[in-house]
Amino acid sequence: MRRVTAALVFALVSTVVSLASAQEEIRIGFLAPLTGALAKSGQDTVRGHELFWEQQGNKVAGRPVRIIVADTACNPDNALSHARRLVHNEKVHFLVGPLCGHEGPAVAQVSRETGVPVFVPVAGADEITQWKRVPTVIRTGATSSQTSQPFGEWLAREGTCKNITTIGNDYTFPHEAIGGALATFKQAGGKVAKVFWSPIGTADYGPILAGIPAGTDCVVVAVVGTDRLRLLEQWYDFGYDRKYKIHGLYWLMSDVLPEASDRAVGLIGASLIWADGLETPEAKAFIDAYARKYKQVPSWFAEANYSTGLWTKLALEAIKGKVEDRAAFLDAVRATKVKAPRGPLALDKYDNPIQNVYIQKVVKQKHPVLGEIKVSVPVKTYEGVSQFWTWKPEEVLSRGPYARQ
Amino acid sequence: MTPWTPWILQALNGISMGALLFLLAAGFTLTFGLGRVVNLAHGAFYLLGGYLGLTVLRATGSFWLALVAAGAAIVGVSWACDRFLIRRTRENVLGQVLLTVGIAYVLADICLAFWGGSPLRVPPPEFARGPIDLPGGIVYPRYRFLLILFGVLVAGVLWLLYSRTQLGALVRAGVDDREMVDALGINVDRLFALVFGLAAFLAGLSGVAGGAFLTLYPGADWDILAYALVVVIVGGLGSLGGAMIGSLIVGLVDAYGRWLLPEFSYFMVFGPMALLLLVRPTGLFGREA
Amino acid sequence: MATLATLAVAILALAAPWLLGTFWISLVTQMLILGLLALSVDLLTGHTGILPMGHAGFFAVAAYTTAILEVRHAQGFWVSAGGGVLVAVLLAVVFGLSVRTSGVYFILLTLALGHIVWGVAMRWTTFTGGENGVSNVPPPAVAAVRFADLSVYYYLVFVVVAVCGLGYRRLVRSPFGLALRGIRESESRMRGLGYNVFAHKYAAFVISGGLAGVAGVLYAYWNRFVSPAAATFHASAEAVLMGILGGTGTILGPFIGAAIILGIRNWVSGYVVWWTSVMGLVFIATVLWAPHGLLGLVRELRGRSAARRVSPPHAAAPDHTPAASTAAMRGARRPEAPGSPPP
Repeated sequence: MRRVTAALVFALVSTVVSLASAQEEIRIGFLAPLTGALAKSGQDTVRGHELFWEQQGNKVAGRPVRIIVADTACNPDNALSHARRLVHNEKVHFLVGPLCGHEGPAVAQVSRETGVPVFVPVAGADEITQWKRVPTVIRTGATSSQTSQPFGEWLAREGTCKNITTIGNDYTFPHEAIGGALATFKQAGGKVAKVFWSPIGTADYGPILAGIPAGTDCVVVAVVGTDRLRLLEQWYDFGYDRKYKIHGLYWLMSDVLPEASDRAVGLIGASLIWADGLETPEAKAFIDAYARKYKQVPSWFAEANYSTGLWTKLALEAIKGKVEDRAAFLDAVRATKVKAPRGPLALDKYDNPIQNVYIQKVVKQKHPVLGEIKVSVPVKTYEGVSQFWTWKPEEVLSRGPYARQ
Repeated sequence: MTPWTPWILQALNGISMGALLFLLAAGFTLTFGLGRVVNLAHGAFYLLGGYLGLTVLRATGSFWLALVAAGAAIVGVSWACDRFLIRRTRENVLGQVLLTVGIAYVLADICLAFWGGSPLRVPPPEFARGPIDLPGGIVYPRYRFLLILFGVLVAGVLWLLYSRTQLGALVRAGVDDREMVDALGINVDRLFALVFGLAAFLAGLSGVAGGAFLTLYPGADWDILAYALVVVIVGGLGSLGGAMIGSLIVGLVDAYGRWLLPEFSYFMVFGPMALLLLVRPTGLFGREA
Repeated sequence: MATLATLAVAILALAAPWLLGTFWISLVTQMLILGLLALSVDLLTGHTGILPMGHAGFFAVAAYTTAILEVRHAQGFWVSAGGGVLVAVLLAVVFGLSVRTSGVYFILLTLALGHIVWGVAMRWTTFTGGENGVSNVPPPAVAAVRFADLSVYYYLVFVVVAVCGLGYRRLVRSPFGLALRGIRESESRMRGLGYNVFAHKYAAFVISGGLAGVAGVLYAYWNRFVSPAAATFHASAEAVLMGILGGTGTILGPFIGAAIILGIRNWVSGYVVWWTSVMGLVFIATVLWAPHGLLGLVRELRGRSAARRVSPPHAAAPDHTPAASTAAMRGARRPEAPGSPPP
């Protein structure tokens, strides 16, 4: 009911507002899944972005900022049509999003068609900053394999895994994430027992869990949305915690920790560009502000979008708010180095950030505002990681994208 | 762990899924058999029942109360839908299909408005959590195992009612030849209302049961309905026995299919059904449409 | 009168890209494409009297085939488009056997068959790309013309749809169309008259599937992206509804229905989050109050006003004479006569 009223109020207000400030405002089109398996993560992206602009008073360089959110439900088809609608109908100046890896190429397509700048804080599809680059698309997050390539090495060394089974959702992001991890894992001498793929939103992980081959020592997980919780519950229900170790390449992050049972404590949750247990001043300030407003610890979905807001604001200030000059805007973004809550960020020559990757573990902590909560603290930090890991870009590009294993 | 273990585990997966499907399919098939009503909102009843049950569970802490409340609530919802909408499309199958699809869309959106877009899990009762150690070194989720027992219980009770009581005889007769039963002076409408109500009760109840291991989410209504439809088509519309056998077959094929041939798992479930229908247009035990 | 109207429509249609912006032209193109899909479904619902609930399957396989041939094998327009339609026809040849069943079984069977297509599109990731879909379909290059601009592609779509529409018109006015409508009224009677009912239904199904395939090919080039979303049950249900909403058994009906549904979806979803309910309510309202669609309503109103003209306008009391009621019935029944050519 609240949503209905909110929608009606929004419709009314947006009509009035758009009539009032049609000329000078900067319109940002924001793509996120607000329904479906990724709804929670999607909500975090909206919140992170919103928090940043609120802190700026919703304006930059003297111009008011208006954010128009569209629900893509983690579906490339929806992402495509909403992106087109935002550009042609709502006349947004640039797009932020999408969330899901496979939506990335779809939105990049719209950018190619229309020339609208797109900033991608979350979607990891490797290709949009490697093989299928669109000059008007800049990633402010990370590629799928950027965060997983260090993980493969970690698995072999600190993780002491020798024969692994992987479980991943069947679309671009996990394909590439697991692909990257396996490449470095095998390079470090590890062996792969079996690779499982399951569609996003799989309700029943029973058949997969029951199919894990004997001889596996570690199970590596890259699942998204609510599949994370379902898999976690079913893992314990099947008694597999007694048999194998489970390591999340991409699994237990703050947006899902509040609902996860305390059995998640002690598990390696993710290999990511953000850990909500970071202690740097920028991180702490951000976590504090977010926790006070939303009563929750920010996940990487929130941080990536917060720092995207920061990045675009710095660039807009550099060009005195002339967002209509797309080329200048994009170049300003490229030239800006950001001190984000998650660490220092700088774009490489392929429009993807070079940044830290944190292998993180779930622990219990006492937060001044939120009380006792579960957070992820880094157990190992890789600094200055690029999307190409330790290889040369030409090498990676000639190799081609990570195929679905 | 023996080499047989994964096969047994998958069988259990399949049978427990089949148990859930039976709860949904039994009502659907009898509703059609007796009243010639195709209710494509059955999946939405499942989802709405699940959500309502979850709310009751959160308020009272009782899983059993949630099951009963969900069932009862859906009986009310289905009565209202029938009384004001579905009844007006009797004899008009095309209209009925589209009407019930429309009802399903509206109900699903109501669920979205009240319970949001994030999948929600119905927490099972304490005694049903965690793994259970079965003979042969098999470790299986306790809840799914109990669901199998529950499904068998419900199937047993329904079968007894259907084949051993006078009421069941009337229903069987009505499925066979509605006009004749009418001519004998039996109030077929009231009989149908009873069956329709029972179907609704089971649908709502199964929403809670399913929500405990599959979670409740937008789209769950169509996901489960698709499988339930295969069950009733394979088993034959109007046949309770067909629903039982169909549930078992579909559950097992789904589990083994997703394990052995994941890229063709949907095809494994729907393909043979299509073939069966081409050979036997009314399913295994069904009557003429 | 009719020719003037057609001329006006034709001029508007040709001038559309200048009158409307990119967004609206894209929408109109989409209406034409989905209208064609709805038209293909209506051959079965409106003329043959059977309800297929899985036609998005043909639409999707054609779209995927065209997209894959273009993107992965760079086959160019004629091969890709031709391949798309061919695959849809082949699938219809196989799925067409479903006309052996009738009534509810046919509905549920076609529903399940459509679901198979969706399932394969979703899970056969190595071939279809699964959820990732097939992206970056290049614009069609027919002869030397590259339809890169959406406004220009609109013309291609318009021509194709117009040609299909004219062919469809020919078909439904032919003896074959007449036979279909006879089957719709009573299969047993047609069988008694010596018609091969199965052959007729099967042929109609295959033609319908092929036409849905044409729509699918057009879709692949319009969206430039094909994913399992093209094969969902919702897509099939909407195709059915568009025909019914606009007016079953007509040619313009499905396109009117498509315009309404797309209009609602685009306009409403921009403002409210509960637009699915709106769609559901449209389903319900159509079934209950406009079972013959908008064109049917128009016909009814025309029929009713004609009947009113028959009875004396200044009668002191309502005229219940047999003559008046027969005239009223004749006037009202005129649009319902079986075999009458659609507008």
